[in-house]
Amino acid sequence: METAKRLYPATLDRKAREEIFGWVLILPALVIILSLILYPIFYNIYLSFFNVNLDGVNTYIGLDNYKGVVFDSFFWNSVVTTFLYVVFTTIGTTFMGLIVALAMNKTFPLRWLVRSLILLPYVAPVISVVFAWQFIFDPVNGIFMDITFNKLHLFANRFNLIGSPKAAVWVAILFSIWKNFPFSYLMILSRLQAIDKNLFEAAEIDGAGTWQKFKAITFPELYFVMGAIVLLRIIWNFNKFEEVFLLTKNVKVLSVYTYFKAFTGTMELGQGAAIAVIQFSLLISFILIYVKKVLKW
Amino acid sequence: MKKIIITFMCVLLLLPVAGVFANGAQEAKATGPVSFDFWTTETQSDRMATIQVLIDTFTALNPDVTINLVAVDENDMAANVQTAAAAGTLPGMFEAGAETAVAFGADNILDTDAATRIIKGIGEDKYYAGTLKLLETSNKGTYYALPYHGWIQGIWYRTDWFKEAGLKPPATWEDTLKAAKYFYKPDENQYGILVGTKAEGYTEQCFTPIAMSNEASLFDKDGKLIFNSPNMKEAVEYYADLAKYNPPGPQTWRARDYYLQGKLAMFYYSTYIMDDLALQDVAAGSLTGKNFENLKGSSFDPDLVKNTGFAPIMTKKQPAGFGVVVALGLFKQKDPAVTAAAEKFINYLYTQNAYITFLHMAPGGMNPVLKSIATNPLFQNDPKGIFKHYGPEKMAEIIQGLNSIETFSIVGGKRIEAASQISAKQIIPQMMYKITQEGMDVDKAMDWANSEMEKITNN
Repeated sequence: METAKRLYPATLDRKAREEIFGWVLILPALVIILSLILYPIFYNIYLSFFNVNLDGVNTYIGLDNYKGVVFDSFFWNSVVTTFLYVVFTTIGTTFMGLIVALAMNKTFPLRWLVRSLILLPYVAPVISVVFAWQFIFDPVNGIFMDITFNKLHLFANRFNLIGSPKAAVWVAILFSIWKNFPFSYLMILSRLQAIDKNLFEAAEIDGAGTWQKFKAITFPELYFVMGAIVLLRIIWNFNKFEEVFLLTKNVKVLSVYTYFKAFTGTMELGQGAAIAVIQFSLLISFILIYVKKVLKW
Repeated sequence: MKKIIITFMCVLLLLPVAGVFANGAQEAKATGPVSFDFWTTETQSDRMATIQVLIDTFTALNPDVTINLVAVDENDMAANVQTAAAAGTLPGMFEAGAETAVAFGADNILDTDAATRIIKGIGEDKYYAGTLKLLETSNKGTYYALPYHGWIQGIWYRTDWFKEAGLKPPATWEDTLKAAKYFYKPDENQYGILVGTKAEGYTEQCFTPIAMSNEASLFDKDGKLIFNSPNMKEAVEYYADLAKYNPPGPQTWRARDYYLQGKLAMFYYSTYIMDDLALQDVAAGSLTGKNFENLKGSSFDPDLVKNTGFAPIMTKKQPAGFGVVVALGLFKQKDPAVTAAAEKFINYLYTQNAYITFLHMAPGGMNPVLKSIATNPLFQNDPKGIFKHYGPEKMAEIIQGLNSIETFSIVGGKRIEAASQISAKQIIPQMMYKITQEGMDVDKAMDWANSEMEKITNN
């Protein structure tokens, strides 16, 4: 009590002092969030209304940047690519994570080893696995072409899967699923282990089969953890840059497209800012709907 | 407990304030020790190690100066510099291609006074005139940056294959296309030629001599954009034709490994390839024989250097070659002490021992721009023995080629900065990628490139 008296005026009651203390605790986090997250967001929104010059002289041009973006067919191509990428990677990682988690929940010899090995793609540095994938799919020296074309004669000619503008998006999706499914697996597995065994025993006594047990017990128990995983994966992959950019520069998802627009070629920073604002709004609206409808918050 | 938490919070909150004061104290001492960044496009670790040795030697002699070496990929240099300029964090000095340096000069971020001062100090007549010309501003006798070393590029080809097939060396449009077609055997994992098709600088390096040999340029003498011309279209179409005989997919210079593995008949490359061709240990990194023993041409071919020819000049309507002079430049600084220190360091880099150490990082690839160094016996006696391998005449020919480099940005002796900006923004490589990889129609792609170029010229 002595300490409290010295720090707060005696006129404040206990509740007010608790509130002040609460603010003191929050303050460092608040300062960091304001300066490192909110300030760049607002500055980016501000820039999106300007013709941004690198010499620091910006001219206000109203909605011209937004018009430029919306009437650009490359932008819409990139929206479609992003949509494809997010939908397939989210379904892929969640589904794969679920299957592997269900399998790893069974007991078998050396399970501890397999469980740890599964995490490898997730913990390996992106750049090293990207190089490995590029080497695998190299059209001239890669093992993929050596097996499918040389040995199995599955294709009529050699081709560059990662380099091809059409195929690259599918390679990027496959890569993302392979790299990120261990996260879903880990989350789902920990939830699986927490399900009360009595529920399954009761179901068995009632004569439920494997599928019925999954439908009536496992899935409802996993619903919210999977809902959260899907939400996180959508947020992460909607903004995903490094995995896609390092693997192949041909897949112009929104973040990669924004980079090219803002920092290469004729460097249209204002339009880059406008795309980022559009991307941000799309994501926020989606999250709000998702949280209300699926997670039922 | 509460007391501890509150004290901790207060310390945490005061830390950034303390940091500000600490910075202020440092700035006040700026007249004493000086520190600056040196951005280089020599990203390979062994080259960075050599440059670091030079820096260490210099800073040992000048203990007040600290130089931080930062490697920047040549394709990212322009973008990184422009964002640093916007953020007010430009490095003290850089090493990059002359076109890139001129583009920075056009953006008015270079200290041309300092660059000119160093060149005059060394003596303009000591340089090969052609290399200086590439960095001269519109005002005669002033320079954007300093030429430091350079290379020339051309088609390297398998003389033994050409001889056996009875084909002429790839020195004209017709002969090159004919050979590319002839040697293109994808079923055998063998390809006709390597030209750049990725949206990277290498693509423009391959395309420039082809366009120039067809008398196609970006600008006329009056600085008017004339990109969309019949000559240019012919060159673009020819290039797209050549690219059909490339290894599959978008390609860049890294695919030169296929040549070392005996899977390519011709490839566009700079004289940097000379040590890979001649020396087994240098080439070893490019080979995959250990991993894929049954793949064709998987081991080092000691006869490759004998069986490789070099065609630096391409001819259609006129002969044309290509090369790049790499420049050292200084960015404008608020603190004159940084400029002074960078100037001193650049002068040091031109001293005999430092210069030769630098050039010996890549004999053949890095050629001197000072006449006295080119003829210096120390320079000609490189540790890897490349000079002995190729003979002094071949090396003299390369240096001579360096002295007569032509670029899109000098038309009839006049400097056109916009051409360097177009080059720095990689508009031509992006266009080539659209045509060769995305299957875009040549006219449509050229219209796109033209409109991007107009954005620069109208600015």
